[in-house]
Amino acid sequence: MAEIRNYTLNFGPQHPAAHGVLRLVLEMDGEVIQRADPHVGLLHRGTEKLAEHKPYNHSIPYMDRLDYVSMMCNEHGYVGTIEKLLSVEVPERAQYIRVLFDEITRILNHLMWLGAHALDVGAMTVFLYAFREREDLMDCYEAVSGARLHAAYYRVGGVYRDLPEQMPRYEMSHLGSEKEMKYRNQAREGSLLDFIEDFTERFPGYVDEYETLLTDNRIWKQRLVDIGVVTPERARQLGFTGPMIRGSGIAWDLRKKQPYAAYDKVDFDIPIGSNGDSYDRYLVRIEEMRQSNRIMKQCVDWLKNNPGPVMVGDYKVAPPPREKMKDDMEALIHHFKLFSEGYSIPESEAYFAVEAPKGEFGCYIIADGANKPYRLKIRAPGFAHMAAMDEMTKGHMLADVVAVIGTMDVVFGEIDR
Amino acid sequence: MSEQQTITVEVDGKKLEASPGQMLIEVTDAAGITVPRFCYHKKLSVAANCRMCLVEVENAPKPLPACATPVADGMKAWTCSPLARQAQKGTMEFLLINHPLDCPICDQGGECELQDVAMGFGEGISRFAEAKRVVASHNIGPLIATDMTRCIHCTRCVRFGDEVAGIRELGATGRGEHMKIGVYVERSVSSELSGNVIDLCPVGALTSKPFRYRARAWELTQYDSVAAHDGVGSNIHVHVRNHQVMRTVPKDNEAVNETWISDRDRFSYLGLYTEDRLLKPMLRQDGQLQEVEWQQALLESAELLKTVDAARLGALVSPGSTLEEMHLLQKLLRELGSNNIDHRLRQADFRGDAADPAAPWLGQSFADLENNEAVLLVGSWLRKDQPLLNHRVRKSVLAGGQVMVINPVDYDFNYGLSNKLIGAPADMVAHLAGVAAALGADTAGVDASAGAEHQAIAEALKAAAKGLVLLGSMAQVHPDFSLLRLLANNIAQAANVDLGFVGEGANSTGAKLAGAVPHSGGGLSVAGMLKQGLDACILLNVEPEFDVANPVAMAGLLNGAKVVALTTHLSPWLLEYADLVLPVAATLETSGTFVNLQGDLQSFNGTARPVGEARPAWKVLRVLGNLADLEDFDYESSQDVRDEALQSIGEIKLDNSLADTSAVAASLISTELQRIGGVPPYSVDMLVRRSSALQHTPDGWKASLHVSADTASQLGLMDGGSAVLRQGEGEITLPLVVDGRVPPACVWMPSGVPGSELLGEGFAAVSLEKA
Amino acid sequence: MKTVIHYIRSLFLLELFKGMSVTGRYLFKKKFTLNYPEQKAPVSPRFRGLHAQRRYSNGEERCIACKLCEAVCPANAITIEAEPREDGSRRTTRYDIDLFKCIFCGFCEESCPVDAIVETRLYEYHFEDTDKKTGAYIMTKEKLLAMGDKYEAQLAEDLAAQAKYR
Repeated sequence: MAEIRNYTLNFGPQHPAAHGVLRLVLEMDGEVIQRADPHVGLLHRGTEKLAEHKPYNHSIPYMDRLDYVSMMCNEHGYVGTIEKLLSVEVPERAQYIRVLFDEITRILNHLMWLGAHALDVGAMTVFLYAFREREDLMDCYEAVSGARLHAAYYRVGGVYRDLPEQMPRYEMSHLGSEKEMKYRNQAREGSLLDFIEDFTERFPGYVDEYETLLTDNRIWKQRLVDIGVVTPERARQLGFTGPMIRGSGIAWDLRKKQPYAAYDKVDFDIPIGSNGDSYDRYLVRIEEMRQSNRIMKQCVDWLKNNPGPVMVGDYKVAPPPREKMKDDMEALIHHFKLFSEGYSIPESEAYFAVEAPKGEFGCYIIADGANKPYRLKIRAPGFAHMAAMDEMTKGHMLADVVAVIGTMDVVFGEIDR
Repeated sequence: MSEQQTITVEVDGKKLEASPGQMLIEVTDAAGITVPRFCYHKKLSVAANCRMCLVEVENAPKPLPACATPVADGMKAWTCSPLARQAQKGTMEFLLINHPLDCPICDQGGECELQDVAMGFGEGISRFAEAKRVVASHNIGPLIATDMTRCIHCTRCVRFGDEVAGIRELGATGRGEHMKIGVYVERSVSSELSGNVIDLCPVGALTSKPFRYRARAWELTQYDSVAAHDGVGSNIHVHVRNHQVMRTVPKDNEAVNETWISDRDRFSYLGLYTEDRLLKPMLRQDGQLQEVEWQQALLESAELLKTVDAARLGALVSPGSTLEEMHLLQKLLRELGSNNIDHRLRQADFRGDAADPAAPWLGQSFADLENNEAVLLVGSWLRKDQPLLNHRVRKSVLAGGQVMVINPVDYDFNYGLSNKLIGAPADMVAHLAGVAAALGADTAGVDASAGAEHQAIAEALKAAAKGLVLLGSMAQVHPDFSLLRLLANNIAQAANVDLGFVGEGANSTGAKLAGAVPHSGGGLSVAGMLKQGLDACILLNVEPEFDVANPVAMAGLLNGAKVVALTTHLSPWLLEYADLVLPVAATLETSGTFVNLQGDLQSFNGTARPVGEARPAWKVLRVLGNLADLEDFDYESSQDVRDEALQSIGEIKLDNSLADTSAVAASLISTELQRIGGVPPYSVDMLVRRSSALQHTPDGWKASLHVSADTASQLGLMDGGSAVLRQGEGEITLPLVVDGRVPPACVWMPSGVPGSELLGEGFAAVSLEKA
Repeated sequence: MKTVIHYIRSLFLLELFKGMSVTGRYLFKKKFTLNYPEQKAPVSPRFRGLHAQRRYSNGEERCIACKLCEAVCPANAITIEAEPREDGSRRTTRYDIDLFKCIFCGFCEESCPVDAIVETRLYEYHFEDTDKKTGAYIMTKEKLLAMGDKYEAQLAEDLAAQAKYR
């Protein structure tokens, strides 16, 4: 009788489908997974510990670097917690800007996920198209914050600056023709809001294109349908959030269930799946992009008609405007103290979560009265999803592991923190 | 204090206990309730002129300043009611109206009370749009930088000058918008405690000049340490940035330094990072000192120690060394078979060694100094030598006590002296004997006649319920120290007052306890070593040209001996004479223990990293012990050393009683022209001598010869002209200053200052003539 | 009926051809890509690129060594040493930005009360060695001031354009 034994296979951390630095130890029976053991921590940077050693505001740029494809949502979770601790009332315009950029971020994230997921499974072209749209959205990021990825744009009490009235434009070079420049700058003639509005007009068409390429495609379906099925009960038990739980048919969305910022003032629907497999989660995310587009449109309309402050007027928390700082003693003192020492938060604790593209991203802060957190705990959605790796891949073939990793939308910045 | 009565007041709804006569702010401070303030300071009188501490008090029509509102039984106050907050906000706005927008360039930024209070209690934005006032600043010396436009007129500095420093140097002129704080006369502030106004100033109007622009408060790491330049052992915070000491500030300790420190302790850190700081071990090769590795230097040193004749081996240790260093050095010496170790480097008279008290100390606790009714200072410029002890004595004067002095120079004090006997050094013995005679005490064989003044001093001492006879540093370096000590002892016993000593350095009491003295084993004292010469000599933190009573003899000793110097700085004489130089950590860089003059054992840790390859001296001594194959030299930390030292000391028993009261003859006799030595306040040790800021103050050494007007005219000398001073074979030419403080027939030329190494011992017959 | 349509669709590879038509259309569309480095993407005036230190128009450096940027830097990338200059003014003797530590968050620019430290639009830079001794990755005061001198016109324009937002 032939001897039967399991093979152990190391998947990653250098595997291109491992989405960064995932190391999976797979126990295989032939090509069938018996057990999957994800190892985390290769991208651990001690963000939580670092935050204990610097004033509250200093950690905002570090939040960008957690889930580095949904930057502003992470910032939102962090500043939201501090605002909750300080009971800061954020101006309405800032709320809308945050919603606008949370949704831009969601599209950015889902485009990244879509491209990478399709690429993992074997479809190359979507990746290129997805990155074309990402380029536009990253231009929006750059226009408001000055950085294409790590924005550091949300601040406690609002956002750093109001939206620019002029979108940066392409400049002539000796290679391009005037006509080409004109074509490229078409959408950039007006303000950032005009640019975003133009984008929201175009975007549904692009989503249709992605769907044409994938949704009915037989290979795509063969690779995704009935792969990694999670029942609604298990999804709840495993602590799934975001598209992962909605794919299993539970309409759980923090934007609706506990609305923050201006989400209670905008209109949108929560898509849910029915089978809880990878294909349903794909459909959910595609629909989420369309819904995000819808929210963005509403935000643009509101923002165009409602100018106002984007930062809270309490200079004990938010630095005063620069102009005031230069000839006003009180303002200068507050500027100086906020940038050197920062604000202090009285002894208290709070948890605040946002619906990040990947699920519930939350921060739990214990303040001890100092100008830095006594403890910061980050609830990253990907970590709970990663924990279900064994359950989701058990019994599947090795090639399906790639699809499951793709459908989880893992980013190790947030999982390892 | 007769009846301890407590009353109850209610602040912010909390019931608090208070004693009648307390101000409201004292009660809230004790309870940890924050009330903003600028002018109030616990150690100064109440001025109530900043109006920042306004609080709401029940039944008062307007908010009242908490610092000037005495508590009453059943009083109700609110520190953060809307009314109080409104009043505080208003005051803050007024204070900021004339404050310049200097935060970014102001050194106080980040540790500024005005900023903090503005953040906590002020408005976020100003409503003031008119021009701000500008005030000219004065240069008030090398220690304190002034930017008077930033002043908010809290008058803490003015009150400090009045009430603590005892000299009115800063004052307010003008009123209202035109009020200015300034110096009355454009000159350097001369108080030895002047640095404390830097800490007192709530804004950036008075800041530290040497520290100017060098660091921000948030860059500094704070360590606790003990100041090392006088016998008080002031508790300090050392602020370190990038492993370098950036400044030192006081740490509160009511029993030792209250909230103050002297300028010497505050600015001595400047000496740490000078160009002559020793970075690497050096070995004399081919007549030249050359840098070598530690390994080689230590092996060579140990080899020398092992081979030298123990009877011809000696060690000199500075009285500012730590208890651990002294213990290890004496252990090293004694295990090698030598008892030739001494810390009394500046003492000239060792005839009284047999009578030496077991553990000389102040004779009283520091707090008791405030309660004396009569104090006799013998050979002491207490004000500059021990500024914080002087501050306590000053308090006793303000409470009605008397202070009398017997000094060779008419030093100025910041309080009235009820009696002073100023005379040539040789006359000090006669004066003291006069007092003894007036008391009917044994005059130790000195012919004494009690004059009216002696009588008065005697009576004041006798009448005092609590009193003190204090022998200062001038007495200890006096050639007839043992006689002065005996007389002082007799006086103290006859008048039933305490006898006290103010030693040199931070650890002279500790040195005696640790055994850094020869006579517990019959070794040679400093004088003995200088006289007999040595084959090998260890110097621990000693700068031989300045730290020894007789530098000329010292040169002879160094010339004939192999010299191993453990030192922080490489002085010219070490460069010339030393055979091995081992760089050691300075006081703020090493851990250790000091025993101060009231017997407090104060341990501290190292703060900054030692410069270059310097190592803590206790480690160097430990390794030397190991390499010299001595037993029990295995310590892992300075705590181990301290524990061993304390074990051998046993219980610290401070004792000033003389073991032997047999008299000796006076050795110093009146001559035509006598030199007055002694060490100026800012020349006491290596670090202080290298602190450039201190040297530029009025108390820094000014390179001049001081004589009285009579003496000058007798010798045909002019004020400001240069003169040649000859002592033995040495001579020095310096400008002459006519100084009313110097008695006739004397030249005041201190020891421990540049040039003094040419002259020899501090008290001797000299000649002076026109250059 | 549904099954029949589905069968026919899949038999004729309909969804595959539909997908091919999307990619096929793009074959004839205008190129979206840029010919970098000849052509460049637009850069926002808020862009946070390589740092520079500015001067006043009379040539005096703006930086007054207040160290707010050093304090606010989340990555501790800035090292400043200061002392009084000969004329008594507060100046830096050392102003280093370690580009390996810098996370380009822009807080230094935000904190600067005199608009001295700024971030330029420059994103094309590299250093050839990471040797600690040569310190190629350290933006020293000299390098920063040279950057400022070189790009002053652009910087002034960007700052003026952004003044109303800050």
